[in-house]
Amino acid sequence: MNNSTNTVAGQGKRPSAPSVILENVSFSYSGEPIFRDLNFTVKGGQWTCLIGPSGCGKSTLLRLISGTLRENFSGKIHFSDGNSHNGRTAWMAQKDLLLPWLSVLDNVCLGSRLRGEMSHEKRRKAISLLEDAGLGEYRDSLPSELSGGMRQRVALLRTLMEERPVILMDEPFSALDALTRLKLQDLAASLVEGATVLMVTHDPLEALRLGHRIYVMTHRPATLSKVLIPPGSPPREPGDPAIVSLQAKLLHRLVGGGNP
Amino acid sequence: MRIIRLIFIAVGLVLVWQTIVLLTHVPPYILPGPLNVAKAALTHAGPLFDHAMTTLFEIIAGLLIGTLLGTLSALSMIASFSLKRWLLPVLVISQAIPVFALAPLLVLWFGYGLSSKIAMAVLIIFFPVTAAFYDGLRSTDPEWLELAQVMNAKPLAVIRQIRIPSALPAFASGLRVATAVAPIGAVVGEWVGSSKGLGFYMLHANARMQIDIMFAALVVLGVLSLAIYFSVDWAMIKIVYWQKEETE
Amino acid sequence: MKRISLTLFFILVVLWGGFSTEIHAADNVTVVLDWFVNPDHGPLFVALEKGFFNQRGLEVEFQVPSNPNDPPKLVSAKKADIAVSYQPQHYLHVDQGLPVVRIATLIATPLNTLVVLADSDIKSIADLKGKTVGYSIGGFETVILKAMLHTQGLSLDDIKLVNVNFSLSPSLFSGATDAVIGAFRNFELNQMDIEGRPGRAFFVEEYGIPPYDELILVAHHDNLENPKLRKFIDAMEAGVRFLVNHPEESWTLFVRGRKDLDNKLNRLAWRDTLPRFALRPGALDHARYERFAKFLKTRGLINKTPQIENYAVELK
Repeated sequence: MNNSTNTVAGQGKRPSAPSVILENVSFSYSGEPIFRDLNFTVKGGQWTCLIGPSGCGKSTLLRLISGTLRENFSGKIHFSDGNSHNGRTAWMAQKDLLLPWLSVLDNVCLGSRLRGEMSHEKRRKAISLLEDAGLGEYRDSLPSELSGGMRQRVALLRTLMEERPVILMDEPFSALDALTRLKLQDLAASLVEGATVLMVTHDPLEALRLGHRIYVMTHRPATLSKVLIPPGSPPREPGDPAIVSLQAKLLHRLVGGGNP
Repeated sequence: MRIIRLIFIAVGLVLVWQTIVLLTHVPPYILPGPLNVAKAALTHAGPLFDHAMTTLFEIIAGLLIGTLLGTLSALSMIASFSLKRWLLPVLVISQAIPVFALAPLLVLWFGYGLSSKIAMAVLIIFFPVTAAFYDGLRSTDPEWLELAQVMNAKPLAVIRQIRIPSALPAFASGLRVATAVAPIGAVVGEWVGSSKGLGFYMLHANARMQIDIMFAALVVLGVLSLAIYFSVDWAMIKIVYWQKEETE
Repeated sequence: MKRISLTLFFILVVLWGGFSTEIHAADNVTVVLDWFVNPDHGPLFVALEKGFFNQRGLEVEFQVPSNPNDPPKLVSAKKADIAVSYQPQHYLHVDQGLPVVRIATLIATPLNTLVVLADSDIKSIADLKGKTVGYSIGGFETVILKAMLHTQGLSLDDIKLVNVNFSLSPSLFSGATDAVIGAFRNFELNQMDIEGRPGRAFFVEEYGIPPYDELILVAHHDNLENPKLRKFIDAMEAGVRFLVNHPEESWTLFVRGRKDLDNKLNRLAWRDTLPRFALRPGALDHARYERFAKFLKTRGLINKTPQIENYAVELK
């Protein structure tokens, strides 16, 4: 994938993205404590991967940061630039969430449309994003005419159109086949440039390819392991021996659940 | 093509009809044969057409008003929970009471003109449309709503751009059902008190034991109802353009 | 030995006695009424309660139709022996090919009436000009109105017709109509009196309609030779006779076992229907029936006037 700064997302100087700071966050669901006095910082401008078994609270953590979960939690969540976290994140889910009645282009512009901010400029930016991602000729197509991988690509572009400093991803590529997954990982890595990314994944290889920083989340209430910082910069080659050995280590942490 | 299939079905039904008449020797004042009915239809084509136009108008007006009322009711039930609690029982009752019991009341309020028949049709249509649309609005994919929330969407935009389009397939289902039953409302309304329309014409023919004319009116009503249904179906396919039909 | 044979003989006698009553079992007659049971059916139910049918070996069952147009069809389909029908509609039925024949008269005068509110400004038929007339569909009302209006030099174009179906007096009360046709004089006028809004009647036979029998009995063309039909008419005649001689006791018999019929309206209707029952139900006035047939033919309601024996007979 071409990493040149010809991509629109890379143009211009982006102000450095803030960190997300969680202080003494506690959250319960149906009487069960998911988090108890959790302290966690998502480092600004870096891609952080959160990996862990199902049901331990990874998606919940994302939703606390995105602001869609606001009840039953105590503690403080804020960005390092001093402002609130609410309404300042972009969200990418496992489902593409494309609206089937809108064209691909309109879907990419969804955020602006819902905020009533559509303009010619926004439209041109979206078209450009689509072309860079190789989907230029599909901009007037309906989502039903695209394959799963193409739709998730559109979802990625929609997320980037938001131009939010913090991007939250909940297993965005897990529903795709292995080859498409690799391609989309490369595309995502090239496009986010400089944003703070927190990605939840259950695939150790994906975490190692994309993450600057990797945490393993285990137990109930959830605890985070010591950070793992792989060598080199993302997107890393899957065949790299350093990556392969780290994969084994990560798996061990996941299964064992202990020894950070 | 669809038209050819319809013609085949129609011809088939007519043949079955004629066979039944021939085999069972049923007298013409109980079940006239298709030829008699066709003859009656041609002889009385003028009045049949006029009455058909009246009933057609009642059905279409009923559909338009009923659909409008139904969509507004569904939207208000989504918008306000307390409104929903008041409106929902009314909705169910409107469906449970047999229309012919309400018909004399409606005639009393709306008079003997067309408005009481339209009111009957509206009553029959109201529940299917409202219930289906409300259901559709309620079952919007929560992940879309979540995405919209993260995007700081304006509440009205969420309703207009997400909830309503996502509810359109359900609405279309409800409207199709309503279209199929709307003629019943109009005709029952005519039976209770009217001077025009196919229902009225059928009553008249029946009283004079002119069963072939009565059946002619019945056939015309059937054709009318089919035509309206297919029109609405076509319109729905255009409106819910993103739903692909299952092709064998 | 003698004891045994005596007992056997006794048993045989009892059996034979029982058998003979089986052999002389009653003839079943199903009669479909024109409408719900009401004072118009007086003689039939008096005959029933006094046992006049049983005396002639008849087991009579009265049925109420779900649809007022059904009775002649049921008889035509041989699902019933006798139907109560209307002389004017009878010609239409015969014209459409129903194999029904009039065998008796129940009510020997018209009952149909044009009714207006007593306090209305319609004092004569001529005052109907420009007014709204409500009707219930019987197949016949436009013909009646046309003939009545014609006697005053008016036509149907001079009035506005509205089908109010069964809400005849309610439409008068609400003012939706100025006059109604299709009301039965023995009922509607009493109903209006009870509601405190009396009506004024214009009797159709006084305004250009030839007199006719409002209620008749019809049977299937193929069944006329059946002796049970004549027996039925004889029993019915006995019923009328008793009714005329003992009107009060007849009322008691009418409501016996049919308590829901015992109300003020029916009482008043009973009084007004009494003089209208056919005293000789089986008799047939040929000229009267042929006169009415001609009236219907000239008005275009029937296509042909058949020989009278095809549609009305006196049973022997």
